[in-house]
Amino acid sequence: MTAVITEMIYAVAGTVAFSILFSVPRRYYLSCGLIGGAGWLVYSLSGRILPPEGAALSATVIVILLSRIAAVIGRCPATIFMIPGIFPLIPGAGIYWTSYYIVTEQLDLALHTGYEAVKTAVAIVLGILFVFEVPGRFFKVFEREGRK
Amino acid sequence: MSEAENIKENEVMETALLAGHILLENGAEISRVEETFDRICSHYGVNSGNAFVLSNGIFTTVGDDREKYYAKVQHIPVSAARFNRVAAVNQLSREMETGKYTVSELREALERIKKMPGKKRRTQIAASAVGSAAFCLLFGGSLWDAAAAFVSGLVLYVYILYVSGPHLSKIVGNIGGGALVTFLCGLFYMSGLGSRIDYMIIGSVMPMIPGVAFTNGIMDIASCDYISGAVRLLDAMLVFFGIAIGMGMAFTLLSAFGGGILL
Repeated sequence: MTAVITEMIYAVAGTVAFSILFSVPRRYYLSCGLIGGAGWLVYSLSGRILPPEGAALSATVIVILLSRIAAVIGRCPATIFMIPGIFPLIPGAGIYWTSYYIVTEQLDLALHTGYEAVKTAVAIVLGILFVFEVPGRFFKVFEREGRK
Repeated sequence: MSEAENIKENEVMETALLAGHILLENGAEISRVEETFDRICSHYGVNSGNAFVLSNGIFTTVGDDREKYYAKVQHIPVSAARFNRVAAVNQLSREMETGKYTVSELREALERIKKMPGKKRRTQIAASAVGSAAFCLLFGGSLWDAAAAFVSGLVLYVYILYVSGPHLSKIVGNIGGGALVTFLCGLFYMSGLGSRIDYMIIGSVMPMIPGVAFTNGIMDIASCDYISGAVRLLDAMLVFFGIAIGMGMAFTLLSAFGGGILL
């Protein structure tokens, strides 16, 4: 469990660093970081029972849901939270190993890792699409809490 | 129709177009650009405003049998996302709905947003270094691996800001970036800093990953803006391929000169 928490701290740090790269307004750094951390938490916990693409799907769903909630509370576009928050889920290892296996002429392994990376990417796409189908009125609940 | 009204319609359209320009240039989705344009036009009583938005241009017209015709096309090259400007335009259009601004005041406010500073280059380079190190640790690297990723993430962003951004085309720039990172991490690995070259490289290419193009592409396709969505996804794919090709080239070089240590 401590390993999961340490990893979450890394995910938060990475997400905040990337929200700085995208010039996210300073008041949203913390929310961006927490959303990225929450996404990673769901990814690593659900990864124990689900295959990697299933874990990526459930983590993306959580990231986008939280981003939409944060957008209603903060009264700003949801993309500000989504884009940095999704970074920890990107299959970077897939790209690395695919190009490594291609260079070393292990084409069957390259095909396998490339296919795994594409599956994860499709899972992230589906996660974004599913949560964007949820009508805006379901998020109105949070608006009242955020009103000053 | 009096002359004053004509000028007003023109001004409203120009203002709405400016808002759309800022949004599109700084990483907003197509639907948000169109929505903001329509909202500004109808708030100031121009009912015939129409905008057709692509990922790198806006085509607008105003005019029908009651309002005079105007048209304007604006080309907007793809550039780095600056979400502080997107958030500011979004905030401004909410405030506009409460009737706080005249057209010219809105336009002045938009001009100010357009000049809003991004992060300093120093800050961006530091953020890239810290982000690379954090993602290296996240994917399983040790502290030494993270130190190597920190340095190569830092060098990578110096390269992006001073070499590839101003001087190179996007494809060549990304191949160069992927190669640079792989080469640096290979050198660190061979000199004994860090034990897992894969975690170092994966962490330090993260600042190049096209998260904005990828996510916005999906969102555009979700809202049926297929042309812009396809263009943005193609953009993201080219970046991914560029990075992978750069990595492959550096691997080959390293194994040729490094005596096959890596491969």
